[in-house]
Amino acid sequence: MSRITGALREMQTIEETSSRDQWVNALHPLVKFCVTIFYLVSVISCGRYDLTRVLGLALYPFFLFEMAELSFRDALVRLRIVLPLVCIVGIFNPILDRQPAAEFLGFTLTTGLLSMLTLMAKGVLTVLSSYLLAATTPVKGICTAMRMVHIPRMIVTEFMLIWRYLSLFLGEAEKTSQAYSLRAPGQKGIAISSWGSLLGSMLLRSMDRASEVYEAMCLRGFTGDFPSVREEKIHRRDMTYLAAMGAGILFLRLVPVLSLIGGIFV
Amino acid sequence: MSHIHIEVKDLTFAYEKEHKILDGVTFTAREQDAIGIIGANGAGKSTLIRILVGLLLSFEGSVRVEEIPLEKATLPRIREKIGYVFQDADNQLFSTSVYEDVAFGPRNYGLPEKEVDRRVSLALQKVRMEGFEKKPIHKLSGGEKKLVSIATILSMTPDILLMDEPSAALDPRNRRNLIRILNEFDHLKILTSHDLDFIWDTCSRVILLGEGRILYDGDPEEILRDRKTLEESGLELPLSLTTREERAASGRN
Repeated sequence: MSRITGALREMQTIEETSSRDQWVNALHPLVKFCVTIFYLVSVISCGRYDLTRVLGLALYPFFLFEMAELSFRDALVRLRIVLPLVCIVGIFNPILDRQPAAEFLGFTLTTGLLSMLTLMAKGVLTVLSSYLLAATTPVKGICTAMRMVHIPRMIVTEFMLIWRYLSLFLGEAEKTSQAYSLRAPGQKGIAISSWGSLLGSMLLRSMDRASEVYEAMCLRGFTGDFPSVREEKIHRRDMTYLAAMGAGILFLRLVPVLSLIGGIFV
Repeated sequence: MSHIHIEVKDLTFAYEKEHKILDGVTFTAREQDAIGIIGANGAGKSTLIRILVGLLLSFEGSVRVEEIPLEKATLPRIREKIGYVFQDADNQLFSTSVYEDVAFGPRNYGLPEKEVDRRVSLALQKVRMEGFEKKPIHKLSGGEKKLVSIATILSMTPDILLMDEPSAALDPRNRRNLIRILNEFDHLKILTSHDLDFIWDTCSRVILLGEGRILYDGDPEEILRDRKTLEESGLELPLSLTTREERAASGRN
């Protein structure tokens, strides 16, 4: 399977995963959206050296992976390109900031190293929590939640259409790459000299398809705003989830759980 | 005489100034008509359909749908009455699941969720795709996609059904199913097709287009048996109307 085909399949798999019959998936999208935003704010607002608190907040994604019966390994595989990039963010901190922060088994932990580890942990957790939202809520649900919190219609529609356009573009890229490889047997990849014309034709074809899809939407009454997924009300279970998760995240944010547990043994 | 649904007068359209795709096309379509628009490639069939549904507005002449003139301001009203099934079902289906796609139109028209549910069930029942509600679109076969794309339109209960090359890429079973669906649709339907056997099975009136003009408008019985006119227009007699000897002579199986 080519990389393009793989990427397309992964997008389709995430969409399928988000539509499974799991209780987390069945929760109201607004509730999951709000919990995710609250979690992101909680993680990001931790101090630059507050590694233990950030690590304590890792309990939320792990808990949700378990509850939603999602594979942590699959998540790491799908995020294999993003996660290393996130980890690179603070790579120069240990060189620039060499103040000793603590000593551990004869090893001096510098504030630079600490801030780098904190940044890495923050990056990984924010990416994982966003992945969890995408894997438990269809894109349309996320858009509905965004509209419910009054994010401008234009931004939400752009977000939705870009998501759709990505799959169309990957679909066209897959067809082009297959057509090329069938007429260039034995050649590894696509020759650099062909990249320009292939990319151009791929863009034009995917734009043609995108405009036809857009026309199909307009013909079915689309006027720039997505109707809500369902006019379903927020049920008691949604409120319970919101309250429990909100309280849990707030607790992990305010109380350095890992430091307290560590204190018991020291 | 039944009610006129579509009235086209002196319709002329060109993508480029010098090359007219449609040139003075005039016809009316009534409530119970099942019109097959036939013609060779480039005859203007798809362009005509796209104009009728308001996807191309820079035409000359006039088009009225249920007495509403077709123009930008009236598009929402007109599109509530017309359902258009694209040639390529992949371009018509964009949601994650069959249910979501079939429900897209009714939801856009603000129907209550109970009514949306009812319409989705009914539309899927009509195309015999019950039980596919939760299936992801990308997991459907070509024939299934075509049927679902028809269901997306039927769920909007249109007064007029337009279809571009509906039988393209369908296997015999899905083709028969589609013929049944179309014959059960008792409002105005306009189809474009090269598949003259399909037109023979579904249409009560045929419009033959050639070089942007109407060359024939009338009874399928007459035009689909007229070998000379069909061949002059780049078409051939439907297989079901030819004898074995004629098929052998023309190199067709």
